[in-house]
Amino acid sequence: MQRNPYLPLPMKLVKNFTETEDKLIHTFTFQFLSEEDEKSFPYMPGQFAEVCVFGKGEAPFGIASSPTEPGFLKFSVAKVGLVSTALHMMEEGTIVGVRGPLGNYYPLEQLKGKNIVIIGGGFAFTTLRSMITYILKPEHRGDYGKLTVIYGARNPGLLLYKEELEEWNGRSDIDLVCTIDRPVEGWTGRVGFVPTVTKEVAPSSENSVAIICGPPVMIKFTMPELEACGFKPDQIIMSLENRMKCGIGMCGRCNVGNRYVCKDGPVFTKAELNQLPNEY
Amino acid sequence: MIIAKNALPGLLDKLAAEYEVYAPVKQGAYSLYKQICNGAEADFGYVNSKIPPKGILFPQSEKLYSYSVTGEGTSLEECVDTRKKVIFGIRPCDAKSLLLMDNVFNNDKFQDPYYLTRRSNTILVGMACNDPAGTCFCTSMDGGPFDQSGLDLLLTDIGEAYVVEAVSQKGKDLAAALALGAADDSQKAAAAEARESAEVACAVNTVGLKARLDVNFYDPIWEKFHEKCLGCAACTYSCPTCHCFDIVDEAKDCNGCRVRNWDSCMFPLFTLHGSGHNPRTSGKERMRQRIMHKFKYFVDNFNATACVGCGRCIKNCPVNLDVREVLADIRGSEARSDK
Amino acid sequence: MQKLASAIQDMAKKLLEEKKVDLVVGFAGGSLPLRSTPCFIRKPEDAEKLTWDYSCENNLANYLRKREGKVAVVAKGCDVRSIVALINENQVSRDNLYIIGIPCSGMVDRVKADEAVEGKDLLAVEENGGSLILKGKGFSKEVKLDELLHDTCKVCRYGNPVVYDTIIGDTVPDKAEDSFADVAAFESLSPAERRAALAAEFSKCIRCYACRNACPMCYCTECFVDCSSPEWIKKSTDTADNIMFQAGRVFHSAGRCADCGACDRACPMGINLRGMTRKMVKEVKDLFGYETGVGMGEKPALATFTAGDPEPFLVKE
Repeated sequence: MQRNPYLPLPMKLVKNFTETEDKLIHTFTFQFLSEEDEKSFPYMPGQFAEVCVFGKGEAPFGIASSPTEPGFLKFSVAKVGLVSTALHMMEEGTIVGVRGPLGNYYPLEQLKGKNIVIIGGGFAFTTLRSMITYILKPEHRGDYGKLTVIYGARNPGLLLYKEELEEWNGRSDIDLVCTIDRPVEGWTGRVGFVPTVTKEVAPSSENSVAIICGPPVMIKFTMPELEACGFKPDQIIMSLENRMKCGIGMCGRCNVGNRYVCKDGPVFTKAELNQLPNEY
Repeated sequence: MIIAKNALPGLLDKLAAEYEVYAPVKQGAYSLYKQICNGAEADFGYVNSKIPPKGILFPQSEKLYSYSVTGEGTSLEECVDTRKKVIFGIRPCDAKSLLLMDNVFNNDKFQDPYYLTRRSNTILVGMACNDPAGTCFCTSMDGGPFDQSGLDLLLTDIGEAYVVEAVSQKGKDLAAALALGAADDSQKAAAAEARESAEVACAVNTVGLKARLDVNFYDPIWEKFHEKCLGCAACTYSCPTCHCFDIVDEAKDCNGCRVRNWDSCMFPLFTLHGSGHNPRTSGKERMRQRIMHKFKYFVDNFNATACVGCGRCIKNCPVNLDVREVLADIRGSEARSDK
Repeated sequence: MQKLASAIQDMAKKLLEEKKVDLVVGFAGGSLPLRSTPCFIRKPEDAEKLTWDYSCENNLANYLRKREGKVAVVAKGCDVRSIVALINENQVSRDNLYIIGIPCSGMVDRVKADEAVEGKDLLAVEENGGSLILKGKGFSKEVKLDELLHDTCKVCRYGNPVVYDTIIGDTVPDKAEDSFADVAAFESLSPAERRAALAAEFSKCIRCYACRNACPMCYCTECFVDCSSPEWIKKSTDTADNIMFQAGRVFHSAGRCADCGACDRACPMGINLRGMTRKMVKEVKDLFGYETGVGMGEKPALATFTAGDPEPFLVKE
């Protein structure tokens, strides 16, 4: 029998960083305790893990770091429940458990040679960060075509990974468009909702794939814009979230139709989702 | 082979010395599978147990591991149960349900060591159903009152004795260890007659059911089933194939254990997101999930229906919501694939 | 019984035809012996599905909250008490409700029937005067209907609905005051004996929450057992926590429980839940002289106070 999938790997919280101005999202950096532990956790962009706060419980979060960043894992977590609240209050140096990697990942092999359009909204930018960081790695960058990123938040203070956004902005191998919902003093970037900005940017669908993560309402209104640009359902990739417990396709709660988000997802193409009921 | 009824308590005693033995035990007006210390506790005058024996392999509340955390690290202690068990008198429907559960706990990607360890250490001694209940519909669900699927031994009640058939190698070994005598021809004939005369009166027509479920997710028919449903878990907890669970911590500070408990798709909390969004908002969606899971999704994934026709959900429902009627209505519904 | 059923059908049909109501909640024949099932009639031609007999045990008050439009309900005495309690708690609007009251002399307890046939599979039931003949493969047993009634029904003094818009059937005779002999027997036990008695019952609990969900008064949006922060009780099935769950539920329904027995009837494991609920009913009655759901417009005993309220919880020197 394979190793017990319920047992978490102990990791050390080395950084508890307040990511957004409203303080509701923190980014946690967990360090592997040994090289062996790290080897036992081979992951790809798009996968998630169950983070466990001993004494409180476990909760699933998308991995925000990229496998190209060795030694640690990063998660950006909103304060919503028992586990996330405990994490937010956690002191650096505390030991947590991490169980994973779980789920499938963005189809990096199939994406080779293609232009990639990444669209994110709010704090659903975590595994997208992983993806962007992975692609921007010099040894990977050549495998992919043009990289366009559209990222929106309500206001500048709610954008995640501000330092990196700045760095990406200065690069020529990534086309980054950040947008906020309403004008704010001092913001020189674009203003407008993600669907509108997508329409303006009008990414070409030719030899392209769009990856889209965000709140349901953003996805709902961005889809028609992508379709207008010529993206077919199998050219649109989404990452689903549903309540999960086991993360390994057994506890029975995260299914959408006959597929489990935890085991068969969380990454699905729009074409796949069109075959499934809308229970997510 | 043969076991005389008056020799059975002694035989169970003998088994109990080596195995954890689970057998039907009376509790008021119903029976439950319980661990017995001596053979006299077992009572085989049962139709079937109130709650299925799945809990022996997949307990309602089960410690997965205990932990203690210090500044230096953590220590985790797995709680895998490796004790050898015998379920004595399991009905064929319940034995079949374990074959179905195996698909879940040993899926294409992961293996559940808790269930699988118990499973491989457990011997299933079946009791054929000479008199199936009025709510039994096993023959409609690819089973039957004398079905041997999943069993190691099968016993047939012939009045004064049980005729024993070995189904698997495990069963043969157990029979050899117990030094069971051979059945004579008249005993074998009596068993064959019992098999002939066992009748499952109730039939559920499943022809075209799956095809209908494939296309009627958005059918208005789902509006009506749940109206009387209380949203409790009497059906799912008494179902031998329902396997949903929750994982929680029971701890003081950083020392404690992680526990899994049965959970039910009939509870609103089951799918409630942290954000407050719930993909299954009402009883309608939850009832649909229960039916879809058993009669479509499970078939899609494992090529088998996740129902063995034991009838427990029918008997235990506080408002008499009868799955047989639900299935009949679905078969008669119109195809609707538009959202 | 047949006469009653057709009178109910006629009334339902009339109410729907005259568009006085949009929905009639009543009972239809069930799929098992001694089992009727709640049913929802929206078209006059469906009214013929309605039935009435000694197996209409569910409390239909449970289906009346959050309804739009006008609703008629077929309600026996205990259902009506729960309805009154819900109206008094502003959960049901009297103006949108039409009560078809049915005087009730008791409902059959299927557990008692099962016990009478020693757990054998009951396949059919025939009526024979004041008795029922319980039949199955190889057995047939005649039992007096009175012996099969729920314990709740045996001591119920409100078989005749206290409020109604129309009443169908003959009034049932009044009963003597409930002596709460069952509660007194429990009270006479020592604390250790009580604890043991509760543990014996609640070790059977599978936490399916059928009791809570069957109770018309258990309508909290989030039940305390489901709450995760703070976590009031463990989610695991542990006898002590099972007792805590029920105790919490009973305390929360203090002065609100109409002693209808719906929780007890819903329990698939046959746990004696009324042992606890009736203790609370008795306490409230003794302390405040209050019975739930017998007076329209009354405030629940614990939602109001008077200068003369007893204060037995104060420790006096």
